[in-house]
Amino acid sequence: MERAVALGARLADRDDPLGKEARRDLVLTSGLSREGVELALTEHLESAISSDDMASLLAAVKTAPRCHVILAANVGTAALRAIALALAASSEVTIRPSRRDPGLAPILARELGIAVAGELTAAPGDALHVYGSDATIAEVRAAAAPGVIVTGHGTGLGVAVISAGVDLREAARALAADVIPFDQRGCLSPRVAVVEGDADRAAAFAAALDAALRDLGEVVPRGGLDEATRAAIALYGAAIDAVGERFAGPQHVVGLDPAPRALQLPPPARVVHVVPARAVDAARLLGPWARFITTVGSAGAGALLDAALALAPEARPAALGRMQRPALDGPVDRRGLGK
Amino acid sequence: MKLFSSLDSDALHARVQSFLRAAIVDPARTPEGFDVIAVDLARHQAAHIPAVARLARARGIDLATATRAAEVPAVPCDVFRLTRVATHPVEDDVAVFRTSGTSQGREARGEHALRTTATYELGARLWAERLLWPDTTRLRAIVLASPLAEQPDSSLGFMLDRFATLLGGGSFHLRSGALDAAGVAAATAAARDADEPALVLATSFALVHLLDAQSGLDLRLPPGSRVMQTGGFKGRSREVAPDELRAAVSAAFAVPEVQVIGEYGMTELSSQLYETTLAAALGKWPANEARHGVYAAPPWVRVTAVDPITLAALPDGEIGIARLVDLANVDSAVAIQTADRVRVLQGATGNHAIELLGRAPGAPPRGCSIAVDDMLGPP
Repeated sequence: MERAVALGARLADRDDPLGKEARRDLVLTSGLSREGVELALTEHLESAISSDDMASLLAAVKTAPRCHVILAANVGTAALRAIALALAASSEVTIRPSRRDPGLAPILARELGIAVAGELTAAPGDALHVYGSDATIAEVRAAAAPGVIVTGHGTGLGVAVISAGVDLREAARALAADVIPFDQRGCLSPRVAVVEGDADRAAAFAAALDAALRDLGEVVPRGGLDEATRAAIALYGAAIDAVGERFAGPQHVVGLDPAPRALQLPPPARVVHVVPARAVDAARLLGPWARFITTVGSAGAGALLDAALALAPEARPAALGRMQRPALDGPVDRRGLGK
Repeated sequence: MKLFSSLDSDALHARVQSFLRAAIVDPARTPEGFDVIAVDLARHQAAHIPAVARLARARGIDLATATRAAEVPAVPCDVFRLTRVATHPVEDDVAVFRTSGTSQGREARGEHALRTTATYELGARLWAERLLWPDTTRLRAIVLASPLAEQPDSSLGFMLDRFATLLGGGSFHLRSGALDAAGVAAATAAARDADEPALVLATSFALVHLLDAQSGLDLRLPPGSRVMQTGGFKGRSREVAPDELRAAVSAAFAVPEVQVIGEYGMTELSSQLYETTLAAALGKWPANEARHGVYAAPPWVRVTAVDPITLAALPDGEIGIARLVDLANVDSAVAIQTADRVRVLQGATGNHAIELLGRAPGAPPRGCSIAVDDMLGPP
């Protein structure tokens, strides 16, 4: 596993031959812009691990004679953590990368001597880690042979809580730094910002976030959008035009719903839904989403944040600006680990 | 916002009802034009519904000078989930229809509030008389859905309840979420014994449950019987392809496939669209326009395919997402923007028909960020 982390450091290094290869591959397959790939590799790839995190990671992993990993068309760098976890579970690891978007998996497999297979055959007692949608995980679980220990790593989303009293421009800049990586496609990517206070405060935050995303977008442009994503953005925008205010930038959208009855999930393409809320609103707004929340990012502290964390107790808490930099202390997604 | 007046609303309902009654006889001989009513409805709605007014402003539309239904801003279905889309105050609601239950909870369900159901009921009856029972009302209603008392906020449940009442009562065979397959068999046996044709009104998932449970059950129906099926599966049963389901339903009930009719409707609308194969087989609809997968709109509904990215109207025949103008939506939003992919066909009867091509795909999953559809699945 330490070798995987060391490899992360080489991949992050743009002057290392492996780093160059990774950049070339991810630009071709990830859909991110060249700058987006650079950001992902240099800032969001696990390239070090502390002894405490190592201990946590090992504690989170059940050892098995063999470990098989089905990787999704995940964010490009996600394969590293998935493989590190598999190596912590077993010295005999086989992976099946996504055909559509293999990310770093082929390089990691080659450099670490890990077997790559088109189909995985797990035997009783083997561990099988599945990355993908809940439906995919359920399918794999149902098809697995009896005795195979299947662990699902599903899809999810991040929620940002902007507490009362914090500087809105500072919080907006920090949140933008969490939205930009992977073009918001990660399960830790914030899709919704809940602003403690009234509609005016949420509107001020939405405007600040719009400005911050505009600034960062010039440095790290969004990758190309396919038609389905553009269509999803159009429908989201039309809904926001009806209920609130849309701040549309060249590479992002911020949608403000000043009086939310429910939350709207925006498409993952640097589109952030902003609502005002008080702690008493948390259950109504976040409750239906609680099981999907993988991380709660926060600026400041207060009753709303407490309520959000209580609703999603397995979500990773993080400071805004750190939502996409989780410690290598186990799976990114902690939901269900306590079971 | 203007103070709501029930008199204004009543007057509009009366105008729409006159239009419906005339249009069902001859769409070319209505007391006033479709566009005139659509624009008046939009003005009424913009005066009382902030969401409609905001949308018009955002689109730069001046409804005071608008003259065509095409100018009316279409309210995306999601908006019914995010805010109240009703001209009238909550205390005037006589019915609130909610989008089907998901893991998202009551507050996250779309709501369509009605201050009267009269226009809805009139439109539903007139179009059903044209396409579901154009030949006879001597039909036993066998309903594979919950009775209205169990699902008072379901627009489909409301419509099926009214259809059953119109046809003399009927029997309901979904209780507390469980399908009573033996009860369905008993109802079909009673129809056979009386030699009286039946109309089976069913959700697709209930039909799948019935087909899965039918082993050993005799579900054959007398000649002249028919089946109306609607809705998707939404995780409530295994998914079955439309052709496969239709063939299985046809075989199980001994009903020709042309007499298995699909319905297209949604909570946010007050009108329904149907396949016309039954009416065509009975000589009451142009045969060359009738095929499964094509749904005819009543003359008080106009459908336009719009570009999914610009939301601009596309020429007839091109594939886009459906924008529907439904005159029966008097107190909500007369123009609705769906995410359903369609091709709009202009029939000889003057009606719009849509070839339903599925829901516009969401953003393809390219990461572990959750997709909307994943959040709407069963808990």
